[in-house]
Amino acid sequence: MSDFSTQLASALPEDLGSGPEWVKTLRQGGVQNFRAHGLPTRKDEAWKYTGLGAMGQNGVQLATGSRSLVSEVSNPKPLAESGCQVDMLDGQYLEQIGNPQPGLTVLPLADALQQGIAGLQNLLESLPGPASGAGSSFGFSALNTATLESGVVVHVAAGTDAGRLSLTWSTRGTDAPLLFNSRVCLILEPGATLELVEQFESLDDNANGSNIVMQANVEENAVLHHVRFQQESEKAALITRTEVTQQADSEYTYYGFDLGGGLVRHDVHTYLLGSGAKSGINGAYLLDGNRHVDNHAKVDHMAPGGLSDQYFRGVAGGSGRAVFNTAVCVHPGADETEARQSNANILLSARAVVHTKPELEIYADEVIASHGATVGQLDELAVFYLRSRGLNEQEARQLLTTAFCQSVSDRLADPVLGGVISQRMMDVMPHAG
Amino acid sequence: MSTMLKITDLHATVAGKEILKGLNLELEAGEIHAIMGPNGAGKSTLGYILAGREGYEVTQGEVMFNGKNLLEMEPEERACEGVFLAFQYPVEIPGVNNTYFLRAALNAQRKYRGEEALDSVGFLRLVREKLEILHIGDELLHRAVNEGFSGGEKKRNEIFQMAVLEPTLAILDETDSGLDIDALKTVAEGVNRLRSKDRGMIVVTHYQRLLDYIIPDKVHVLADGRLVATGGADLALKLEEQGYAWLEDGGIATLDVDSATETANP
Repeated sequence: MSDFSTQLASALPEDLGSGPEWVKTLRQGGVQNFRAHGLPTRKDEAWKYTGLGAMGQNGVQLATGSRSLVSEVSNPKPLAESGCQVDMLDGQYLEQIGNPQPGLTVLPLADALQQGIAGLQNLLESLPGPASGAGSSFGFSALNTATLESGVVVHVAAGTDAGRLSLTWSTRGTDAPLLFNSRVCLILEPGATLELVEQFESLDDNANGSNIVMQANVEENAVLHHVRFQQESEKAALITRTEVTQQADSEYTYYGFDLGGGLVRHDVHTYLLGSGAKSGINGAYLLDGNRHVDNHAKVDHMAPGGLSDQYFRGVAGGSGRAVFNTAVCVHPGADETEARQSNANILLSARAVVHTKPELEIYADEVIASHGATVGQLDELAVFYLRSRGLNEQEARQLLTTAFCQSVSDRLADPVLGGVISQRMMDVMPHAG
Repeated sequence: MSTMLKITDLHATVAGKEILKGLNLELEAGEIHAIMGPNGAGKSTLGYILAGREGYEVTQGEVMFNGKNLLEMEPEERACEGVFLAFQYPVEIPGVNNTYFLRAALNAQRKYRGEEALDSVGFLRLVREKLEILHIGDELLHRAVNEGFSGGEKKRNEIFQMAVLEPTLAILDETDSGLDIDALKTVAEGVNRLRSKDRGMIVVTHYQRLLDYIIPDKVHVLADGRLVATGGADLALKLEEQGYAWLEDGGIATLDVDSATETANP
């Protein structure tokens, strides 16, 4: 175990906190797992290209207990209008703005644990952890479970279209940077629909870390659209894991946009448990400076007739490093599955690095699968074409790189939100060199 | 009339191979010149050289455009000065909206000329006006630049860009290639509507067919990197009948075209 892991482990409180017994048992399991395995290291295949040294060097400490929610700075303005907004500060539930419509329940995790929400216990107990054989690569999940207290629970009743829920996350600097743990649980009953727009922005130039685990259960015919946009400070660490189980004919689409952050790692994992379920996992990452962004997307097709589509676009300039790993496993019996994987990258500088790896395992019949991964430069003929119409070279390159990433924001159903995100991408577009 | 474009003894290489070997051409404002010739003669190279594509190296000669040395300019400066190349193979640019791109281009050119940028309302008004002149619908506007366009749509889009950008000198590189007869007519009608006394055009083509619809003032034959013959519109018809074999069998005299003369080469 690294010194950093040891330090975090020793900061875990002995007291298992409040709430029902099963929650304490969960936390205890998390503590034991974390003490046994610690955080992932480069020896874990899934973390080969992403080291956590920067967090240790920045002196990040585990945030424990409840912290003041008094803030002089307000959370960032949401990217787009929504009926209901929840602000999270330093991983804790700060406030709810607007009223959820009938059928939509939004609660702080601690309250939900006390009250008991249908399906919540099952969901929380189902999170894969180190005990499921993956060792330290699930270390962040173990740490998250060990400190399970802060977070949000969202429940959408059967047949309800809950519209858009905004979830804005921000952290603020303190003397010593802190690592915040938080959990998001989403339960969509059969036929329910929700669009969740998550937004992460540091309130200042801090080196905090956030370890956020999201678990979603998407029942039959339910639809969950999940947008995750982050523009964290250049020193901040953002580690997220999203685990989604999908029942028959359900739909989950993820759109990730990484515009900031010093050390960023997202794991998005969907399990298509029912037939005819669809998973769309999309993302764009824009890197320069010394930033590091690692996306791991995995789809497990467990039932027939499923569709998965993974689509990622990345632009790396400066000394930026991007890691992209996409995995699809079509399990026995998941016949007539269709799986698409596409990842393309543009390198703008000689120092930028992209590691991309598609993985595909098929144990079923009548499967259609395609995958492609490319790393290249801008098309010089396209640059010339634009210049021949009057755009200067920098404008031409900027337009092409933006368009490249825009192909992801164009996939959003709401063109207004897509336009806002596209403009934000254009504003931070890395330059060559 | 005044000389708009004067190309003198132009030599150019691509990847170390000499493609243009002393080309001379003078074009006056208001004229349309056709350049015909066999494959590999250097027709597309000429277009790229005039537009300023990288990798096309001029080793000798000069190109004066409205009294300015064209070869010293960046591609975007040439565009802003009024040079427009309609590409033989228009480039697909996924993700860039056609309207957005064209407005950015027009405003870049207006800025260069010290004019106010057009806002989206003013731009759309201009676009509608041009679509009407060209008799084309607006279905291409909302798509990404050339992405998934048919051959005909791509060529129409080039002509549409030309109509909006209003260049002084337009070079149409094999704009007829890959078009069926209806698409060819649409494109040719568009070009004819853009004819004006202030605009010069060079129509590069392998076949005479396009010249049934766009009647040129002069026809040049480009072979092996030089203009070897110049004539009137009837020269194109003769070339259609007899092909380019005469290039090797005794020269222009064998063609029997009244208007054509062998081009003097230095």
